[in-house]
Amino acid sequence: MRDRFGLGWRPELAAGILAHLDRIDVVEVIAEDHFRDGRRALRALRTLAAQVPMLLHGVSLGLASTVAVDDARLDRMARLMAATDAEAWSEHLAFVRGGGIEIGHLAAPPRTAASVAGAAANIARATARVGSAPLLENIATLVAPPASTLDEAEWTGRILAASGAPLLLDLHNLYANAVNFGAEPLALLRRFPLQCVATVHLSGGRWITGPGGTRRLLDDHRHDVPDGVLTLLRALGEWAPQPLTVIIERDGRYPPMAHLLAELDAARQALAQGRLRKAA
Amino acid sequence: MSSPRLEALLARLYTDERALAQFLADPRGAALAAGLDTDDAAALAAADRDGLVMAARSFAAKRAGRSSQAR
Repeated sequence: MRDRFGLGWRPELAAGILAHLDRIDVVEVIAEDHFRDGRRALRALRTLAAQVPMLLHGVSLGLASTVAVDDARLDRMARLMAATDAEAWSEHLAFVRGGGIEIGHLAAPPRTAASVAGAAANIARATARVGSAPLLENIATLVAPPASTLDEAEWTGRILAASGAPLLLDLHNLYANAVNFGAEPLALLRRFPLQCVATVHLSGGRWITGPGGTRRLLDDHRHDVPDGVLTLLRALGEWAPQPLTVIIERDGRYPPMAHLLAELDAARQALAQGRLRKAA
Repeated sequence: MSSPRLEALLARLYTDERALAQFLADPRGAALAAGLDTDDAAALAAADRDGLVMAARSFAAKRAGRSSQAR
C-alpha cells in the first residue's frame, strides 16, 4: 500500500477528473447525493468505482450525538455501499439535528463523556448495520462547543479508542479550530491519535468577522489549500508512517482542473517531504 | 453534561433567529426554560456569544445554498 491522492467527486469536476485519472488515485463521493438513485444511476457509480477507487462520504448521519442514529439513514448508506462496491465510507464527528430540528450542516456537540458514549454507541450501530466501520472525520466549528468538558484532541481520541474506528483527519478543520481558539496548529496535530489516521482531507477557507468583532477562519471548501495546512501535511508525513489517502475537497468557486491538479502535486510533495524527514 | 435536551436547544439556536436573540438576552433563563438542568444551563450561559451567532449565520447560509441548488 502506498500514499494515494485524489479529489472529491462533484458534478462540476466530473469531466476533468475522468480526463485525468492518470494523476488521480482515488475519488470521494458524497453519499447523500446518491441515496435516492435508481438502478441506472447506481450502475453508473459502480462503473466509476471500477475505474478508480471510490470512497463514500456521509454528511447527515449525526453520529456524535447522545441521540441514537436513525436506522433508516444507516440502511441507505448500507444500500449504497453494496450497490457501488465502494472501498470504504466515512462520516463526521458531528450532530446535525436535535429535538426534531434539522440544523442543515455539521455542528460540534458538547465535548463530554456523554457525547463520547453516544458517539461510540452510534458508531457500533452504524458498523453493524452498514457492514464496515466508518472513517470518522473531525469537523471545523465557529463556536467553541458549549458545555464541553473535554478538549477536541482528547474527545476525538476517546471516541476512536471506544469505537476502534479509523480517523479521517481533516487538516483544514484542525487548522481552523486551532487558529480560531488559540492553539498552535502543529501542537494540536501532535495531540491527535495519529496512529489511527487512514485518510486526510485538505481544503481552504476564508476569514469572517462576527457581530462582536471576533474574527474566525471559516472552512468553506471554496478556496485553495493554504500553506499552513500543507505544513501540517508535511508533519503528518513525518509523524504517521502508515500509508495515507489524501483527498482535496472543493465545493465552489471551481478553478480549472489544471489548478486542482497542481494542488494535488503540492500535497504529494508535502507528504513526501515529511516521509523523507522521518527517514532521515 | 451533554444531553438530548442540550442538543435540541443548540439545534434551535442554530436555526431560529428569534430563539437565538432571546437566548442572548437571557442565556440562563432561556436554557432553564428549555428544560436544561442548572449545570447545563450555567455551562450554556457561559458560551462564546459571538461564536454562537457566527455558527448560526453559517448554518443559515448552508441551508440557503442547499435549497437554491437544483439537485
